[in-house]
Amino acid sequence: METSEPTPKTEAGPSNPRRSVDVAFAAPEGVPWRRIPTGLAWYLRLESVAVCLAAGAGGGVLALLWGLPMWALGVWLGLWLVAGVALWFLAGSSQRSWGYAEASAELYLSYGVLVRRLVVVPYGRMQVVDVTTNLLEQALGIATVRVRTAASAADTRVVGLPLSEAVQLRDRLAARSESFSTGL
Amino acid sequence: MLPPRPGQGAPPPPPPRPGDDVTTGVFRSHWMIVPVRVIAVTLVFVALVGPILSTFGHAWVLLMAVAVVFGALAYALPSWWYGTFGLREDHLVVHGGLFLRSSREIPLSRLQAVDVVRPLLTQVFGVAELRIELAGGDGSAIRLHYLPRELAERMRTAVLAHAAGLPGRSPDAPERPFYRLPFPLLLGALTFRVPILLAFILLLMLGTAFVVFLEAGVLGAVVPLALGLLRYYWGPLARYTDFYASLSPDGLRLRYGMFQRRMQTIPPGRVQAVRIVEPLLWRALGVARVEATMAGYAGARQGDSSDLLPVAPRSRAFTLVNEMFPGSEAAVVPLVVNRERLPSAAGVDEHLFVSVRGLFCRVTEIVPVERMQTLRLSAGPLARWRGRATVDVDTPPGPVAARAADRDAEEGRRFLNALAEYGRRARVPSAGTERWATRATMRAERGPAPSEDEKTEETPGDTPGEAL
Repeated sequence: METSEPTPKTEAGPSNPRRSVDVAFAAPEGVPWRRIPTGLAWYLRLESVAVCLAAGAGGGVLALLWGLPMWALGVWLGLWLVAGVALWFLAGSSQRSWGYAEASAELYLSYGVLVRRLVVVPYGRMQVVDVTTNLLEQALGIATVRVRTAASAADTRVVGLPLSEAVQLRDRLAARSESFSTGL
Repeated sequence: MLPPRPGQGAPPPPPPRPGDDVTTGVFRSHWMIVPVRVIAVTLVFVALVGPILSTFGHAWVLLMAVAVVFGALAYALPSWWYGTFGLREDHLVVHGGLFLRSSREIPLSRLQAVDVVRPLLTQVFGVAELRIELAGGDGSAIRLHYLPRELAERMRTAVLAHAAGLPGRSPDAPERPFYRLPFPLLLGALTFRVPILLAFILLLMLGTAFVVFLEAGVLGAVVPLALGLLRYYWGPLARYTDFYASLSPDGLRLRYGMFQRRMQTIPPGRVQAVRIVEPLLWRALGVARVEATMAGYAGARQGDSSDLLPVAPRSRAFTLVNEMFPGSEAAVVPLVVNRERLPSAAGVDEHLFVSVRGLFCRVTEIVPVERMQTLRLSAGPLARWRGRATVDVDTPPGPVAARAADRDAEEGRRFLNALAEYGRRARVPSAGTERWATRATMRAERGPAPSEDEKTEETPGDTPGEAL
């Protein structure tokens, strides 16, 4: 900052690092992101509220049993309240961050608020495609499509799709994984 | 590139002896296993229960021991008799179990690797273990224990022939020597590593302290140190003594071991990714270690079986990588250097993704583009603020985790697009690697190798190192 020496990295490079990240995480050419409906946001909100309630209440009961001072209990409950509120408001942006695109030979996935991710899964590499719904998802009528490859590091899934759409996506992916199959 | 199998299609030059034919019939372990098991069970019984029984008199011990002998025999004999295996067409059928009968039928075209292992004790009896690795993870390996050695070798040949798509009576594929590891080099390279040298120095200092002060507490520090040396120094030393690698149309063959002789066969196309590891001091010696990810070696066996070359000159290591991924040249992949923070480099061409990282221990990771499973681009909050991103190239679980860390975000995306594009193109012609001997597509349609002048210009030993 204090040196007058020209720093070619910042001047010659892309002017705005955030913009360059947006470019880097853009949808593949010619295939726009398909976004996830708002059901996912409600799912995330309900889930985070349930977790925060359970953690806060459980910790509170323990604090009472152990006879901790009231201010500790207050801090504990306050922390979980703050966490719950933060998660409630983050759920919307989390839902908006999700997107998938079915390109000609790969499935593109984009998600993440804090850590942004872009995952590319070639259709020929898909070993298993399955649809799962837990109780809360069933109540909201949404489902998760999970794609498994031989690499265990990547957890590739499309969450929050309406059930019928999820089933269609699974069938499409399964058919393509068959026709693009190239062994292991 | 692997030479075509000479005797392919034509009848094999030496007519097989009738005993050599393992493609029909039913086989079982060596009969020696029955008395060995009975004796072992009886000895354990006498050692554990004998002292208690002897208070009632020695006759009781004898009586119970005889009962145990017959009991063990009643179990070991039928379980040996019913534990059979045999080839049916190109499937291996394995029967086993006494109370819970099991029968597995294995399509041999799916096999990932075949090992013949002879631990020290079994060498005395002339028996060996045949391990057939499949791509199903930890529980999916087929282990045929205590086979007569001849049978194990012939079975290995037949299994590989079937996997290659040839009739099972084909002779063993001819091999050409690739690399023999001289023992002084193994010993020197294993010693010449920073942690090992430090441990030895520490051990010497502790020994001196013990002698001078006669303080027994010093020994408390010696024990973990000695255990560590046993694991990381003596372990590889004993395992890789007399290491010999050769190439054949059936893939790479590795033979090694001081106490436990082992012969590994890795068919072509089974290596998912490779990494070349050069610890700090090894760079001065110009040697490297080659490790590979293979789908068959899962879980605990991964660590034992992933080394393709424990110690080899750097140029030899790169030659092996080129043999593993025919039609490509790892050393001429154009690398893009990243000078932010820790130096690293990554590059992609139409066959390979190569990444070089590590300040002290340099690790070169090489993934053929048609073998990558998923691609990931990720950017945490700090990286996003700086406009950087990381590209991960996922392969099946193993030692290799190729990534281009902390690149400029748009450059990262260009890597990702290039990888996706090259992967798409590379995957189409090479449809699977099953039955490699009978399909010409694998080698013919992989595209031409890099031009000759390029190869001669850049010696394989130097190029990636120059990038750092």
